[in-house]
Amino acid sequence: MKRKDKRPKHESSANPSARARPTQSEQRGDARPPVARGDQKGPSNPKRKARRTGRNRPPAAARPGERRVHPPQPERSAPSALTDEHAALVEAGLSDTDIDSEEAFELGIGARVVPPTTQYGEAFESAPPEPHERKSGDVEAQIRALEARLDGLIRQRHFADPAAGSDADDSAPSSERRGPLAKTDSSPPARVEPAAPPVEDFISRKWGRSAMRSRSEEFDDFGLDPSFEQRVKPVVEFLYRSYFRTTVEGIDNVPAEGRCIVVANHSGAVPLDGLMLRAALRIEHKHRRDLRWLAEDFVYYLPFAGVFMNRVGAVRACPENAERLLEKESIVGVFPEGVHGIKKLFQERYRLQRFGRGGYIRLCLRMRAPIVPCAIIGAEESSPLLYRLEGLTELVGLPYFPITPTFPFLGPAGLLPAPTKWRMRFGEPINLDNYGPEAADDHVLVGRLSERVRSSIQAMLDSGLRERRSVWFG
Amino acid sequence: MILAERGRLGAPPARRRVVAVTGAAQFLGSNLIGLLEEDPSVRAIVCLDSEAPTTAGAKSRVYNVSLTESLAEERMAEILSAEAVDVVVHLAFLDSPTHSTAFAHELESVGTMHLLNACRRTKVHKVVMRSHTLLYGAHATNPNYLSEKHPLRARRTESFFADKMEAENEVLRFGRPGQGRMATVLRIAPMLGPTVDNFVTRYLSHRLTPTVLGFDPLWQFVHEADAVRALRLAALYDVPGVFNIVGGGVLPLRTVIKLAGRTMLPMPRSVASGFTTALWLTQLAEAPPSFFDYLQYICVADGALARKELGFEPLYTSREALIDYANAQHLRDVRLLSETPA
Repeated sequence: MKRKDKRPKHESSANPSARARPTQSEQRGDARPPVARGDQKGPSNPKRKARRTGRNRPPAAARPGERRVHPPQPERSAPSALTDEHAALVEAGLSDTDIDSEEAFELGIGARVVPPTTQYGEAFESAPPEPHERKSGDVEAQIRALEARLDGLIRQRHFADPAAGSDADDSAPSSERRGPLAKTDSSPPARVEPAAPPVEDFISRKWGRSAMRSRSEEFDDFGLDPSFEQRVKPVVEFLYRSYFRTTVEGIDNVPAEGRCIVVANHSGAVPLDGLMLRAALRIEHKHRRDLRWLAEDFVYYLPFAGVFMNRVGAVRACPENAERLLEKESIVGVFPEGVHGIKKLFQERYRLQRFGRGGYIRLCLRMRAPIVPCAIIGAEESSPLLYRLEGLTELVGLPYFPITPTFPFLGPAGLLPAPTKWRMRFGEPINLDNYGPEAADDHVLVGRLSERVRSSIQAMLDSGLRERRSVWFG
Repeated sequence: MILAERGRLGAPPARRRVVAVTGAAQFLGSNLIGLLEEDPSVRAIVCLDSEAPTTAGAKSRVYNVSLTESLAEERMAEILSAEAVDVVVHLAFLDSPTHSTAFAHELESVGTMHLLNACRRTKVHKVVMRSHTLLYGAHATNPNYLSEKHPLRARRTESFFADKMEAENEVLRFGRPGQGRMATVLRIAPMLGPTVDNFVTRYLSHRLTPTVLGFDPLWQFVHEADAVRALRLAALYDVPGVFNIVGGGVLPLRTVIKLAGRTMLPMPRSVASGFTTALWLTQLAEAPPSFFDYLQYICVADGALARKELGFEPLYTSREALIDYANAQHLRDVRLLSETPA
């Protein structure tokens, strides 16, 4: 499996070295690049094959005698510029293997998939290419010398264009990011690697000459795990489509792009509304918007629940996190009722609790994001809270201990929500652009705007409830 | 090369500096000296430690002093004025928690005070201090990315944190504007890399790595080379303030342990605290039970300010630093097994 993983990478890594070869011959004033290339293609293929097959053999350094009794290969009979060719070959071969092992890092192949020891081992095992080996037995010294030369080339390159870095770098595409090793090939300046900051000599000597730069992070900044989300996606979609039979109105009020705050009513002993809101925008919105909802602090004190919520897209509710999300032009789902929303009793359902201190309004004003009010109908009956035991809060680490018709009498299964029919209504976006960011410090204004958003959601809830005929069938 | 890296802030000051490094024989100190040795803008390096750094070269002058000795302040002042030191890089801190808390307090808190007093008596205009992002403390209520303005909320009952917080306060007081002096504090994330040795690397080198059942906080690392580079930038460019030095990206603890090639040993919270206390008291664990918070809650810092003001761009992300560490660790394991140096 390891081999299979490495194969395609190897083929791709053959390209830079192939590109490097003619330039090296040019550097030496070699006047016949096409011929040289043709010549080199010959030996390079057997070499590669040898590397492929020769992995199980003992390291090359251990068998110089065995190799030497072999008859000379045909290309040996072309002595013109042979040494140069060999040097170029060896160099190409060397850099080839180097890139090989280094690209493995760059592509994010970590220690688990390809153990690093085998990589280095392979690199060394395959490092002495055959023509080179025939020439002399002292392979290791030559590798050292070549490596020193490579380092020298890199250093030259560094000192050659000290000023080129800062200006030209920013404009170049970042997808072309490569290790500093790529600096050895003198390709056209358009392809000069971008902002890879220069590595100081001491650093390059001590920690190797490459500073690896792969951006293939599995996790996003807030702990969402895409692969885990993919795994729970069937469950979420089942809940969304079949269990709650969610219908969505006015989803076009959510902007197709750019930052936005969705403000909704909060409910449920086990709050699923954030997850469903995310699913709704994923499934129903034309542009498959990615919503991250802000979750209350107490969730993060709980074992399992906090981690689960984090991995499927919840973010702890605090202004820093929300600002960061909005800066990335994503949609933030906010439940301003907070804990008071999820601990409201069944008889208080669909009556919006106080909207905190209006932190989300301040956020909108500062970040210039529109507000989309959203009424979620049906969620407040799915896990009705009959009573909350406040005395047990310390013990369980929850803001309340819920008593529902089924919990705790049926045990943990009692926490399953009832299959009510859910309806999500997105209202007209409320734009606060006519206020400047300094309005965020105006407490009276913030309170008034917060009340305006609250009443618009309450109105949507009331009209939705009037239209609804059945809790179960909508 | 330097120009390219600096970009916004331009070239280093014209006058070539004399940089003093305390804790010069330790990991960060010796590597920083190696880096400054070849820097043309550094005239001389004054190495202050109780032993000589291995990387000391032509520019280095090695002094055998200790911040815990009784006349530390006088000796430091003598050396600093004799060498006409411009910048002091204060790295004489313990990287890992220790059982000898009294010594740690003498070195870190009292020693910093002595050093700063010596600096006040001489013409040192800048002090750079190494600090930890761990000082923010792991809390469920932390924002995902802690900025430098966030208060330090690590447990003050733990001397590892308390001493460093005191030292940090002293240094910031030293650099308060209006006195013609400045202070740069680098809060460095846990360092990983092929050669560094601290309690995080030791924690990840256990075959069975204890974690807390049901918790999987996000972690962040910085590569050792990046930490050294950041110290160099702070020593050579006059950018006062507090900066978080972190690698890019975050990794959940579970992934960290998997990438390090170890096995998780999840323990319920109630069992684990007693267990780690026992391990710490018997000197089997690398960190006291107050570090337990970091296995449960998030403590991740934001490196944006260092990028903007200090021009520090990490070469390695957290993940790459971890992989680099794991590579070296596996190589070490293999060598130990085969007993034949490659």
